[in-house]
Amino acid sequence: MATALPTRTATRCFRTTRPRTCNQHIHSRRAFHSYDHPPPPGPFGATETLILSAAYKHVPEHGFTHRALSLGACDAGLLDISPSALPDGAFSLIRYHLYTQRLALAAKSSHIFQGEDAPVGVGAKVTALTWERLMANREVIHQWQEALAVMAQPSHAPASLKELAMLSDEIWYLAGDTAVDPSWYTKRATLSMIYSSSELFMTNDHSPDYVETNKFLKRRLGEVQSVGGALGAIGQWVGFTASAGINVLRSKGARI
Amino acid sequence: MAATRVLGSTPSICRACTRVSKPMARRGYATMSNDIYDVICVGGGPAGLSLLAALRANPVTSNLRVALIEAQDLTKSSVLSLPPSKFSNRCSSLTPYSAQFLNSIGAWSHLQRDRIQAYQEMQVWDGVTGARIEFDWPTQGTEKTIAYMTENLNLTSGLLGRIRELGGVDIFENSKVEQIQLGEETEEMDLRSWPVVQLSNGKTLTARLLVGADGANSPVRSFAGIESRGWDYGRHGVVATLELEGEGWGGEYTKTAYQRFLPTGPVAMLPMPGNFATLVWSTTPANAALLKRLAPKDFIAVVNAAFRLSPVDLAYMHSQNEGQDEEYQWRMQHTQTNPRMLPQAVVGVQEGTVASFPLKFRHADTYIGERVALVGDAAHTIHPLAGQGLNQGQADVQSLVGAIEYAVSHGQDLGTQMWLESYNSERYAANHVLMGVCDKLHKLYSVESGPLVPLRSMGLKAVNALGPLKGFLMAQASGSGAKVI
Repeated sequence: MATALPTRTATRCFRTTRPRTCNQHIHSRRAFHSYDHPPPPGPFGATETLILSAAYKHVPEHGFTHRALSLGACDAGLLDISPSALPDGAFSLIRYHLYTQRLALAAKSSHIFQGEDAPVGVGAKVTALTWERLMANREVIHQWQEALAVMAQPSHAPASLKELAMLSDEIWYLAGDTAVDPSWYTKRATLSMIYSSSELFMTNDHSPDYVETNKFLKRRLGEVQSVGGALGAIGQWVGFTASAGINVLRSKGARI
Repeated sequence: MAATRVLGSTPSICRACTRVSKPMARRGYATMSNDIYDVICVGGGPAGLSLLAALRANPVTSNLRVALIEAQDLTKSSVLSLPPSKFSNRCSSLTPYSAQFLNSIGAWSHLQRDRIQAYQEMQVWDGVTGARIEFDWPTQGTEKTIAYMTENLNLTSGLLGRIRELGGVDIFENSKVEQIQLGEETEEMDLRSWPVVQLSNGKTLTARLLVGADGANSPVRSFAGIESRGWDYGRHGVVATLELEGEGWGGEYTKTAYQRFLPTGPVAMLPMPGNFATLVWSTTPANAALLKRLAPKDFIAVVNAAFRLSPVDLAYMHSQNEGQDEEYQWRMQHTQTNPRMLPQAVVGVQEGTVASFPLKFRHADTYIGERVALVGDAAHTIHPLAGQGLNQGQADVQSLVGAIEYAVSHGQDLGTQMWLESYNSERYAANHVLMGVCDKLHKLYSVESGPLVPLRSMGLKAVNALGPLKGFLMAQASGSGAKVI
């Protein structure tokens, strides 16, 4: 969530010049990341959270549906009608799943890497975290194809894509990647692609412990590494050839 | 004197003008200090030694005051004490052009000729498809030498012998270069543009021209602030001295060099006198480590396999920790080969000669600076697949000596960049092209599958079929052809 984009100083100035009371307002729509501020509140209000968390328990059985929402409302001691307070209906439940699992990753990441003696590389961390996030779908995976269909509806697609982007950002952040060069974008884009395709693969994977999904994920990540290596080599060669061209001209007496 | 001092301390006057306005400096130095030299060469490898020999042998430049700085003990590289049945593992191929140059500076006769092996033919083939090119001369009787295989030790000892014969070179051996900086201005002369070399034994030497022949991590190059660009191949070159079952298919007088392009890198077997051959195999660091670890019997099996078995079989043999010999025997029963197209089988490896070194590609931005010139590996490091590294160094030396000779014969200051320009302009583009070709070959043949594989095989076969083109390439490789660049 909080990624090291170079905005820290700006944030500080901002805080000192504004009274603290407006913080709540700023947080809900701020366009920057910061370590110094508490994270912005989630997309759900207190009542919404109450309904959704209760309804979430019914998802494995009833799917991401209105039925699960109504049952959840009953469990929370609210009226059957109360899920209509949720503007997106069943999609809210899907979003709740995405949101809570994304946040849960931070807590998991600290214990995944705790036992390791040798420092784990960024690449290995990304693999482990992506796998951890995929495993968080384990309970609901049999309902997930339906959920994907709902997410792909035009009215929900932007919010779904945003969640995906935030997930890959979260994974890179937790893996300790602090690069702010153009690769910031390509890394997040490729990880989003890999994650979503692995997720799709997982919905049809019946192997024990999802070993096939694990292999699929590793293959995709390996491909990215080899393509990245090849692109790097091409870039290096182009750079060398350009400077060598100038050097050859210079050796022939051109004043460059 | 006062006037000069004023001149020298005026900050607005450029260095070049100061030099011109002070002809005193030249007169002063012969009597002034013992530590001022016309040419100081750092590095006593083949390039540095042939530079000094060439300078001393040339009547125009023989009066220059020259010095050699070498970090190691030169007696090591001057004594070739191996018996006739033992060969050092560091060998190089000298093209006839380089050999001719060595002959012209009088060094060729100082080499032990019975330890040099000329070869006349070359077989190169693709390890994946088997497409082959045979560099043999079209008709009997036109046979010419493609290159001479020489131990580097033989070359350096021959060059040192020639230098000792000529005399006049101040040799500072066992002395590392501690520091290089520019000189200072004194009452008598202005040395502010002259490099001053400080040695580990406390001596300081001042150079009119400082030549860096000090290898890939050249201190002279970093002093001159010349950047060297390139990349590491992620490959190691494995070398070894091998004993074959015979003298080669062509007998004593027609020797053949063999090179097979494997996806991990080319493997070459180059003839040495008698039943011996030298191996140069560029392969992955992991494979190189395995090869160095293997028992002689298994090492021989893997080397034989490298010229005979498919890349898949070879990859499997590299995954074994031992027992490659049995594996090879078994696999050979199921592999069709034409023995006359392959090097004779290896039967022995000389103890302690299996070694490896990392392969790099580096090219300095320029070979010259003010009072600085770079030659050999200090200027460029090349993939060994064409065996051209040492020859490039010799051509550099020849060109640089030409530039120095021109400056001296015209009464010019040989250290100034202006008189070194011709060296850079003659050699830079030529080296760049050769390095590029070797680099592309390496890249082309490291592809294991895909559309490139049939294309490269077609190209190789086409060249093989086109006699005149092949002749042209052979002439280029041996350095006897017309100059293209």
